[in-house]
Amino acid sequence: MDIAVLVKQTVDMDQIKLNDENEPIMDNLPLKMDILSKNAVEAAVQLKEKYGGKVTGIIFGTERSTSTMKEAYAMGVDEGTVIKGYKKSDPMVTAGVIAEELRKAKYDIIILGDQSSDSYSGLMAGLIASELEINVITNAINIEIKDNTADITVESENEDVTVETDLPAVVSVAQEINEPRLPKVMQIMMAGKKNINIVDGNPKYEDDTKIISDKAPDSQRKKIIYEDGKGIDEIAKILKVVK
Amino acid sequence: MKALVFSDEPKNAREIITYLRGKMDIDAVSQEDKELVEYGADTVYFYRDGFVDNLSKFLADHIVKNKYDLVFISSTNLGRELAGLLSFKLKMKCMPEIFYLENKGKNITKRFFHGGKTVVEEESNLRMFTVSPGICDAEKADKKSEVRNVSLEKSIYKIINVKSKETAGTDIRNAKVIVSIGRGLGSQENIEKVMPLVETLHAEISGSRPVCLDYKWLSEDKQVGLSGKKVRPDFYIALGISGQIQHIAGIRGSKTIIAINKDKSAPIFEECDYGIVGDLFTVVPELVEKLKK
Ligand SMILES: Cc1cc2nc3c(=O)[nH]c(=O)nc-3n(C[C@H](O)[C@H](O)[C@H](O)COP(=O)(O)OP(=O)(O)OC[C@H]3O[C@@H](n4cnc5c(N)ncnc54)[C@H](O)[C@@H]3O)c2cc1C
Repeated sequence: MDIAVLVKQTVDMDQIKLNDENEPIMDNLPLKMDILSKNAVEAAVQLKEKYGGKVTGIIFGTERSTSTMKEAYAMGVDEGTVIKGYKKSDPMVTAGVIAEELRKAKYDIIILGDQSSDSYSGLMAGLIASELEINVITNAINIEIKDNTADITVESENEDVTVETDLPAVVSVAQEINEPRLPKVMQIMMAGKKNINIVDGNPKYEDDTKIISDKAPDSQRKKIIYEDGKGIDEIAKILKVVK
Repeated sequence: MKALVFSDEPKNAREIITYLRGKMDIDAVSQEDKELVEYGADTVYFYRDGFVDNLSKFLADHIVKNKYDLVFISSTNLGRELAGLLSFKLKMKCMPEIFYLENKGKNITKRFFHGGKTVVEEESNLRMFTVSPGICDAEKADKKSEVRNVSLEKSIYKIINVKSKETAGTDIRNAKVIVSIGRGLGSQENIEKVMPLVETLHAEISGSRPVCLDYKWLSEDKQVGLSGKKVRPDFYIALGISGQIQHIAGIRGSKTIIAINKDKSAPIFEECDYGIVGDLFTVVPELVEKLKK
């Protein structure tokens, strides 16, 4: 089975500090594989282990994305392409670039994380399916492959629904689908030596959106904090209105 | 100006219609929901057995035919799939996850970024949006909507199994008072120790992500936060919750936030109205006693 997995590299958001204007300082932040991309890689590798085949990783990023591809290799991805040219979060542009790469080969299933942890947009699966004109199922927590179809269990709030779809299909995964493996030292060393295919992307960014501001929201809260055993009376009084 | 609202969750459709009402003419497409006609849309279209394929086909035709200026899709699994498909199909770029919109010739929108750490305010001519659930409290309008039932084509997807999840019934998004627990509670057994507070206040109980997802002390539908539910109670009482940004993103709509945490430097104290620095296992019983008097 030919499996593609789309991997996203992000800055480590826990390390973002704010300046005096409450704006994020984005320089020199460490990069890492996005959380749900790890689940996507794990799901892809598990499918290979169960049904045989090959896993191809694809990252739309920059020169610096090879570290993330090596991490994917260490987890079991067989070969990978880094497409250079990523400049900003623009789901439609990203989808266009990735779809172009996906068209170069034939894949039975294309796996990705459901929502990335920076913007939570969650549009990529639908966008890519639309470009490739294939089926799409999002937020999967289980994937079973039949001959030319897959049974995919999707998590929603009140129920888990299993849906049958034809392949090829784009499937985005939820965090609950698996526990991403921690590669062993040996696998990390081997991964470091493996070739990564690096190509130039052709993103067509448009200036259709202007950022007015990007700041941590001001807290309008009162912030009255009691210490040393105080405050119970005051808070009981405030809560009396609901009784 | 004429807008189309789509949601497979009628509750979200009610909120979005309420939010847009008065600013533009609104039609809505939703799963059937008797109440939805009372929120001020001109026409509501009800569908059944909607999947991403038959709905995207219907919506694409419907949007072109009716010349909607703006399209608002509620951010659910299905909503995001549809937004992705329709973007390319209709050549309409989508602004994702908005929780604020103002139209001043151009559209001014706001959404969270950097994992909820910041809010980006953007100006664009984009005409399609996914809307983050909980954009406002839904309120009924005087006007009744006209109802049309639409029949969709048969989908190529097949449902082969549905497993209902154990949910404790009530939707925390409708709660007026919420007592929310975090990892600081220590164990599932300790829930008992905060139940007197929950009962005294007739509150609903919710939790942080580790509590609902990792430890399963509460069911998943009780998770509050960026990747959980966005709640808007009158009182949100956080017990043993540190207040990481992803949690805060789910409680910003609360009128009053009260926090009890033993760590004075916990970030929740930067995002609450009233806070007590102390051990929740001593503070909560004292508070209950005072409330009972
Ligand atoms: C992509 C992404 C999405 C996420 N989405 C969500 C989300 O939707 N919702 C969410 O909640 N989290 C989410 N998280 C996780 C979030 O970052 C935090 O890890 C989580 O909110 C922490 O939960 P907590 O406050 O219960 O636990 P902790 O951070 O461990 O805090 C426990 C607190 O309890 C206090 N405490 C301990 N004992 C006591 C005591 N006896 N009395 C009083 N206080 C005590 C401690 O001082 C501490 O502050 C997300 C993370 C990521 C990366």
